Amino acid sequence: MRLIAAQSPLDAALVALADPTRRAILRRLTKGEASVTEIAAPFALSLNAVSKHIRLLERAQLVERRRSGREHLLSFNPSPLDDVAGWIEAQRAVWTARLDALDAMLTAENRARARTQTKKGRYR
Amino acid sequence: MKTETIRVTRRFDASAERVFDAWLDPERAAKFLFAMPGGRIVRAEIDARVGGSYCFVDRRDGDDVEHTGTYLEIDRPRRLVFDFLVPKYSTVATRVTVEIAPLGTGCELTLTHDGVAPDYSIRTEAGWNAMLEGLASEASIVSA
Repeated sequence: MRLIAAQSPLDAALVALADPTRRAILRRLTKGEASVTEIAAPFALSLNAVSKHIRLLERAQLVERRRSGREHLLSFNPSPLDDVAGWIEAQRAVWTARLDALDAMLTAENRARARTQTKKGRYR
Repeated sequence: MKTETIRVTRRFDASAERVFDAWLDPERAAKFLFAMPGGRIVRAEIDARVGGSYCFVDRRDGDDVEHTGTYLEIDRPRRLVFDFLVPKYSTVATRVTVEIAPLGTGCELTLTHDGVAPDYSIRTEAGWNAMLEGLASEASIVSA
C-alpha cells in the first residue's frame, strides 16, 4: 500500500505523532540537535528502521536536517503542532455544538411539556 | 507528546435521567448527536445495551456518512461509554465517555473523547468529517 499523495500537512503531522517511537524521537530532539546515530542509540531498532521513522517526521516537517561535515544533524520544529492543536480545538467545537443542540432540544421539550400541562389545566 | 483527549463540560436544566436518555433514544439522539450543519440524519438506529451497536447516517450534499459504534458501558443515569467510528474516513475507533452528575435541579455532563489526534485528520472545514486513511498505509511504509 502507498500513502495517498494528497496528504495535507496536518495529515502528515498526525500520522507522525501516532507512533510512540516517533514521539520518543521528538522528545529527544526537544532537548537539542542530535545525529541519527545518537537518536537511534536508545532504541532496540535497526538504524534503518529509525531512519524510516525520521523520514516520516521530516515529511511532517516536525524534524529538520542539516549537514555538519559528514554528519547529519536533526532538530525539532514544533510549528506543525499548532495545526494539530487547531484540529483538536475544531473537534472540541464540534462537541460543544452538539451539546448546544442537546440543550436546545431539552429546552424545547420543557416548553412543549409546559404548554401541554397548561392546556390540560394543570399547574406546571 | 500532545493531548489526544477532548473534554467538554456542560450544565443542563434537566434531570440527569432525561439527559442520559436523550443519548439512547434514536429520535432524540438524531436531533443533536451526529447532526451537523448542512446535513440531516436519514437513519438512526440504537441497540441500547452493552455490546449493542448504533448507527447514524448523516446526509450532506447527497453524500451519506455513517457514524457507528458499540456501547461499552451503560450505567443510567451516570455514565455512558461507547466507541465511535466513521468507516468512510477512518479504520480506527475512538472512545466517547459521557458522565452525568446531578447538580441542583439539573445536571452537569462531562464528555471525554479519547484517542482523537492519532486517528483523525482534517479534510474539511467542519473538521469532523475528515479522517485519516493513513494509519494502515503508514504502518506499511514503516515496515516496508
